[in-house]
Amino acid sequence: MDILVNFLRLVLLSMVPFVLAGQGTMLGGRTGVFNVAQEGMMLVGASLGFLVSYYSGSIFLGMVAAMLSGALFGLALAYFTTALKMDQFVIGLALFFIGVGLSTLLPKIIIGITLTPPLIKTLPNLAIPLLSSIPVLGPILFNHNILVYASVIISVGLWYFLYRTQKGLELRSVGEHPMTADSLGVNTTKNRYWSTIIGGALIGLSGAYLPMVYSGTFTEGMVMGRGWLAIALTFFGGWSPLPILFGSLFFSAVEVLAFRVQVIGSFLPYQFLQMLPYIATIIVMIITFKRARVPAFLGLNYDREKRSV
Amino acid sequence: MTIVKKALPYFLAVVASFIAAGIFIALMGFDVFKAYSTILFTSFRTPNGFIQTLLKFVPLVLQALAFTIPLTAGKFNIGGEGQMIAGGIGAAVVGILFSSLPAYLLLPLVILGGIIAGAIWGLIPAWLLYKFNINEILTTVLLNFVALALIDYVCTGALRDPGAGHPTTVAIGVGGWLPLFMKNPPFHAGIIIAILVAIGVYIYTARTTGGYELIATGANPRAAGVFGIKVRRMFVLSLLLGGAIAGLSGAIEVAGVQHRLIEGMQSNYMVLGLIIGLIAKGDNRVVPFVAFAIAILEVGASAMQRTLMIPVEMVFIVEALILLFVLLSDVVRRK
Repeated sequence: MDILVNFLRLVLLSMVPFVLAGQGTMLGGRTGVFNVAQEGMMLVGASLGFLVSYYSGSIFLGMVAAMLSGALFGLALAYFTTALKMDQFVIGLALFFIGVGLSTLLPKIIIGITLTPPLIKTLPNLAIPLLSSIPVLGPILFNHNILVYASVIISVGLWYFLYRTQKGLELRSVGEHPMTADSLGVNTTKNRYWSTIIGGALIGLSGAYLPMVYSGTFTEGMVMGRGWLAIALTFFGGWSPLPILFGSLFFSAVEVLAFRVQVIGSFLPYQFLQMLPYIATIIVMIITFKRARVPAFLGLNYDREKRSV
Repeated sequence: MTIVKKALPYFLAVVASFIAAGIFIALMGFDVFKAYSTILFTSFRTPNGFIQTLLKFVPLVLQALAFTIPLTAGKFNIGGEGQMIAGGIGAAVVGILFSSLPAYLLLPLVILGGIIAGAIWGLIPAWLLYKFNINEILTTVLLNFVALALIDYVCTGALRDPGAGHPTTVAIGVGGWLPLFMKNPPFHAGIIIAILVAIGVYIYTARTTGGYELIATGANPRAAGVFGIKVRRMFVLSLLLGGAIAGLSGAIEVAGVQHRLIEGMQSNYMVLGLIIGLIAKGDNRVVPFVAFAIAILEVGASAMQRTLMIPVEMVFIVEALILLFVLLSDVVRRK
């Protein structure tokens, strides 16, 4: 029983990077901007979030910095694809490279090479009064760091915005048929910019979660493919906020299994458990890709001066 | 005149990114002039520097081709790293198991082992694409991480060299080592293989029917299909070839450089290969020249880190910026 409670608690704890990066990807994609720079943006978020927390002593400032860096990448992606109409995938890759380079360069020039890794305080748990003392459910659901709660609230908020408000409907229409949206007076450019910028901020924050909760420090390549997994998650969740939230529970469960069973010890060499998240994702893609619901204009650039889309 | 016209945007992109990065280097308090002269001229100051550049060129050009061949058919292979690791594992396992064979048997077997293992690693996403219509971008990336765990398993498992501090296998048989042109610094024959592959790829894509079908598929899959080209098979073939070439780069790393399998041998060759392929805009003829230029920068970068204490990642950013500016030059020309 204790093992199960602990397992479920860890699943909720580890879902956050997937939720935030998945929602960020979804938000941009819903206006047709297909971001593939997540891995690089998360690395920059992790690196910068760690550095700012380390020097300011404030985790909050670190989060803000990570979000700003992600937003900046989102702005770049939106500008290159929306204003300059460049290939989304190629620009995404270029931004991914820049992110990978910056994330290792920044700590090297700012901190330098040290014998013991510089540490920041990890995010404290916020036990919700009353609810956290419910047996079993309390420790699983209501005794977490603030970003666990925030990621759920953001997901529900995005759902409400996209499916229950006029602005949300307009935003979705840009990703489905921008020509129609444009003719009805929806500002396609503005929607593309803002969705990609805010989506980028969420992706940057998801990267900062890693040093702020797991390790307390930044290590090279610490995102470990979670950015790419987030893209698979977004397809898995049909580019819709609530399915992405639940889908991230699955991605997180596989990750916890891969890293916890390792500790418990098993009949398989641990390296094969490390492969688990990636292989499981490929299997999930086999099962769900055919039926996946994708914004019709995903990955394409809209030019209002052209006759047909 | 046309060559000048074609080269001009590249030149401007290089200048622009050097200026951008130069401002950054100056802000960090380093000597920009010294940094750039180290980056650009280390390869040409000493014979050793030039040989290092040629050695760097080998994995870079192969990784770039592993990306651009599938790109010719319109497919993105972001799995060169995993395919290179698989190739390295294949080469090392063959080289260790048959270590007593003479060189004329063992060396071809080691190279072939790498090529086949890399091709298998490329075949998995190709098969998933063919059979289930799964986007190859994600599957090739995800398989990199599977390969990273696999090389850790091989290097710490039964073939481990217990004397080495870092996860490493025992050495492959001497017969499997690539011959050297020169002992000091060790200058292996991998460069010849790389040049032959680059020429072979050029002949295949520019001068043969099969290569033309590949190009037609990439240019317009629907039209190619109408003219009777089996488009989906071309996708599989292109990814298979890409995997094989990436596997070859792993085999050369084992047979030529390390003579054993070392965890981390893949370095960041794949990402550099992607940058090279994209700067060359997927043109297989241009790839070797861009790869050589990047090799110069990479050798200069390590020298700069040693002598001036500027982290090598600085040059990586310069390379990514060159790519960005080359892409931007297209936009400028369009207008």
